Amino acid sequence: MSKADPPGRKVLRRAVREQRRDVALGAVLGMGHQTGEALVPVLIGLAIDEGVVDGDVPGLLLWLGILAAVYVGLSFSFRGSARAGERAALTTAHRLRTEVIGRVLAPEGGAEEGRLPGELATVATEDAKRVGAVMMALIVGIASATGLAVCAVVLLRVSLPLGLLVLVGTPLLLWLVHLLSKPLEARSETEQEQAARASGVAADLVAGLRVLKGIGIGPTAVSRYRRISQESLTATLRAARAEAWQNAVVTILTGAFLAVVALVGGRLAAAGDIGIGELVSSVALALFLIGPLSEFSWVNAELAQGRASAGRIAGVLDAERAVSPVPASARVALPARTDDRPGLPLRVRGLSYGPLRELEFAVAAGETVGVVTTDPADAAALLRCLGRRADPDAGAVELDATALTALELTELRAALLVAEHDADLFEGTLLENVTAAAPAPVSGARAAADPGARVCAVLAASATDEVVRTLPEGTDTAVTARGHSLSGGQRQRVALARALAADAPVLVLHEPTTAVDAVTEVRIAAGIREIRTGRTTVLVTNSPALLGVTDRVVLVDGGRLAASGAHAQLVHECASYRTAVLS
Amino acid sequence: MSDTNTTRTDTTGADTNRTDTDRTDTNGTDTNGTDTNGTDTLLPVATPARTRAAVAELVRPQRRLALAALAVTVAATAVGLLVQPLLGRIVDLAAGRGSAAADAITTTAVLLVAVAVVQGVTTGLGLSLISRLGETTLARLRERFVERALGLPLERVEKAGAGDLTARVTADVSLIADAVRSALPELARSLLTIVLTLGALAVLDWRFLLAALLAVPVQAVTARWYVAHAVPLYARQRVAGSAQQQQLLDTVGGSATVRAFRLEREHTERVAERSASLVALMMSGVRLVLGFYSRLHIAEYIGLAAVLGTGCWLVGDGTASLGTATAAALYFHSLFTPVNAALVLLDDAQSATAGLARLVGVTDLPSPPVSARPAAAGDVEVTVRGVGHSYRTGHPVLEGVDLTIRPGERVALVGASGAGKTTLARLVAGIQRPTEGTVLVGGVPPAEPGRAGAGRTIALLTQETHVFAGPLADDLRLARADATDDELRSALQQVDALDWAEALPDGLRTVVGDGGHRLDGAQTQALALARLVLADPPLVILDEATAEAGSAGARALEKAVARAVDGRTALIVAHRLSQAATADRIVVMDAGRVVETGTHDELRAARGPYAALWDAWSDTRSPDVS
Repeated sequence: MSKADPPGRKVLRRAVREQRRDVALGAVLGMGHQTGEALVPVLIGLAIDEGVVDGDVPGLLLWLGILAAVYVGLSFSFRGSARAGERAALTTAHRLRTEVIGRVLAPEGGAEEGRLPGELATVATEDAKRVGAVMMALIVGIASATGLAVCAVVLLRVSLPLGLLVLVGTPLLLWLVHLLSKPLEARSETEQEQAARASGVAADLVAGLRVLKGIGIGPTAVSRYRRISQESLTATLRAARAEAWQNAVVTILTGAFLAVVALVGGRLAAAGDIGIGELVSSVALALFLIGPLSEFSWVNAELAQGRASAGRIAGVLDAERAVSPVPASARVALPARTDDRPGLPLRVRGLSYGPLRELEFAVAAGETVGVVTTDPADAAALLRCLGRRADPDAGAVELDATALTALELTELRAALLVAEHDADLFEGTLLENVTAAAPAPVSGARAAADPGARVCAVLAASATDEVVRTLPEGTDTAVTARGHSLSGGQRQRVALARALAADAPVLVLHEPTTAVDAVTEVRIAAGIREIRTGRTTVLVTNSPALLGVTDRVVLVDGGRLAASGAHAQLVHECASYRTAVLS
Repeated sequence: MSDTNTTRTDTTGADTNRTDTDRTDTNGTDTNGTDTNGTDTLLPVATPARTRAAVAELVRPQRRLALAALAVTVAATAVGLLVQPLLGRIVDLAAGRGSAAADAITTTAVLLVAVAVVQGVTTGLGLSLISRLGETTLARLRERFVERALGLPLERVEKAGAGDLTARVTADVSLIADAVRSALPELARSLLTIVLTLGALAVLDWRFLLAALLAVPVQAVTARWYVAHAVPLYARQRVAGSAQQQQLLDTVGGSATVRAFRLEREHTERVAERSASLVALMMSGVRLVLGFYSRLHIAEYIGLAAVLGTGCWLVGDGTASLGTATAAALYFHSLFTPVNAALVLLDDAQSATAGLARLVGVTDLPSPPVSARPAAAGDVEVTVRGVGHSYRTGHPVLEGVDLTIRPGERVALVGASGAGKTTLARLVAGIQRPTEGTVLVGGVPPAEPGRAGAGRTIALLTQETHVFAGPLADDLRLARADATDDELRSALQQVDALDWAEALPDGLRTVVGDGGHRLDGAQTQALALARLVLADPPLVILDEATAEAGSAGARALEKAVARAVDGRTALIVAHRLSQAATADRIVVMDAGRVVETGTHDELRAARGPYAALWDAWSDTRSPDVS
């Protein structure tokens, strides 16, 4: 993070602006609360002075009444202030969270570049929360300053030397505490990190339980865990000891300071310079003052954390886009889809990107073409360009004779769907997953055949019907996050069904059958061919079962087009094709 | 990353008035809070009595430490209570006026400093003793938990849903750790301070104690009200927190898919919805906590007014000096912080107890029986006789299966999904017992790998993979703890993984897995094979272990598999016929039965189901492959 961090500051400033009403309300009420808290010790002193000293019951009652009024006031203002502050904090966090996710999901992509999913989730939760906490910190800071000011006024009115002693001494005390505890804090932070390791390792081992048990290495893992747990314990104990002694130092310093205030105040009172009640108030105020003052260091820490978090959020929001959006002036619209032309032509033109070198091939509307690569990296690069997750270094991909870069991204992806091998499923029922991207049934149009029949056809074509039969609740079976409740083969078929259900004019399928058995693979190959009749389909795969149903296959070797022809023909004539597909 | 808000150290306890709503976010990171499937088969939870007994058992070896911690903390608190009478004495002396009084005031102030020093030292000592007691006990508990969890039969864990165990090892352990680290010492100190302060009030005059106790009914009612509402609310917050976390990971992790299928709006809405419901719950929490503090303010006022009133009466009476009345008022004022802290910590303590019960529930499970006879070492033969199996009665997935695998033989299982291949593999691996018939490995029923006494006879590799977080070499050494670097290298070499492994940023020392360098599917599976080579079991069962890689990657993995199982007895569930074709023998299954066995050539010549399968496949292949 650079020293000056304008994007982070922008995020912070905007958050405060949006919440200015709650922050202002919280601050005003917080000032009321702190004033009340500061007055309580003063009132105790006055009650002793005017009621207890002389046994003056009406006097005592008067002061108790005033104390009651102060209590009611401080209680209500505390409530209002804290509520406004928390509301501002939570609302800010919620807004930032939604914004971060909106950016991550933006069609142009790029936000996840160089960031792990867990990291992004942390930005959306923890960092958003910390920026929210800045609202609370502002309120607390303003309120504490008020409490401090009230204390100062009261103490200086009681006695100038005593007031000065307390007002100069308290910050000095806190500074001293800070100074003494700084090395301890730094040490304990690294130790705390090491201490957290034990729980991380335990969770990791449990996550890999099946793997551990599968190969019978549970006992080794247990003894390793025991060692890490003990190391962790040693670190924790060191950190805890450091913290305990820090606590001891604070206790000693606070106690000594109090003694000094009592000494000076007591001597002043003995000399008759101040009253007994004022002595009591001063001692109590000295104790109270530590509260708002130590709030400042908390406020400071929160602000620093909030700034760092705002910087990280800005980093995501301003992340470079993987592909640039199309300016409205340059945008070309695809022709409306008609029933007699359900597929669109696709052309790869002199495409250079990553390992690809001037790759060239075309797919006619309604054709089914296989793409075989000798290196999986070539396939990955091609898929990125086809889905416009990246723009080529040279050349272009054209859909219906229009370069992809001239098409609006969501329109492009509706017309050209790239279903990757490692696509994820989402939480919901199996049916919801399959129909997630299915076109909404067009009422009145001829095309709007029974949607149920359409789903059945898709399930059959992807052999998902077999999966449905074995599941307890059929298509209503709940799929957990990322589809982990299904086996690899089941997951792959549901994902394929989803891609087929989207009924895109051009569908690119990447290795859709690697986790299914040979019998099912043959069935799926036929199913894809049938359900995609008339539409354009590209199968990026090395599986002979799938390639067998294509009209034509192109072989990509060394990033270039190496051969093109029917599958059977290539198997006969092309040695490198045979190696790629059959060995 | 989740817990930084507890690291703040307070110079005083003065901020207990801050609303305490952050706490629920901290354990939202468990990924499986809500989606365990079979609720009736969750792992057990210990009864309160059993939990207490288990804690006593854990603490017993450190009885002396516990007693010392208690004694020192009592001393620290007691010394601290001298402050108020000393301040009271200064008030009395000041009221007396005169120069003698001034000297006496100085002496008293010096005494105050001495009290502070003694109190500081004993507090530091007490806190470190308490944390040593708590942390050591916690470490013992978590070690015992992990040991027992890793020893549970796989079938048991699967029935409960893996999420159950994960939630216990993450959320519950951190709940207890937090309690031990912050709640326990503070609660102990607060309770001691309260008890001793009340005692000190009684020493001043028993009527001060009575006055102070007037606040107790309000506090008791408030605490009960709070706990009754807070416990279910915080439970809902935790559920909502982990639901939000899960949705975030789901959406962010699958962002490429979300974009490809244009689900951006739907997913943004899903996240916003979960976030909004969490915000609503957090606001309820804020209101609850604030209501709690308001009620405590009433209690504070009642007590303070009563103590001041009593002081007025007793001073007027002549029974108490002004200093005593001041000390009493200061005592009471100093009770605010510990009382509030103790009441707030009540529900931390309560949820930690619930977490503890869930951990003890697992550590108390009986350890699985050690198999009577150790399995044979060296070459093993597998015999399956008349085996039938059903997960639900009346729905057999295997029927009358007979199969013998000779030592060193490589057998491939082929068949459509649902033919019973995986079930057969699990029975041979000993993860499940057949409902009918017998399975023998090396002459004895197979014990699940890794179970006590099972030795290293069997290894089972499935599609499911995991990279253990930490250096790559450490991951490999799980399979053989004493392996040298050269042995690790040769194992990687054997599965064709040495090239990429050495090309990693730090070579074999590269930190991989969660939070480290990410390995792709094929690399992860190659790593699993390297572990297999290191573990060196005589019998290997592979259940579609190459499925997760793309087909180009799968081919390379198949070669690695062939080398890894070389010289071992192997049962391979194959989904690619190319893998089956190279096996010594092929077993074709259909609808839970073995329908054909033989070598590739025999089966092709037999023109049965396998030949049909092969034709369907090779038809798409070159005619000259045969």
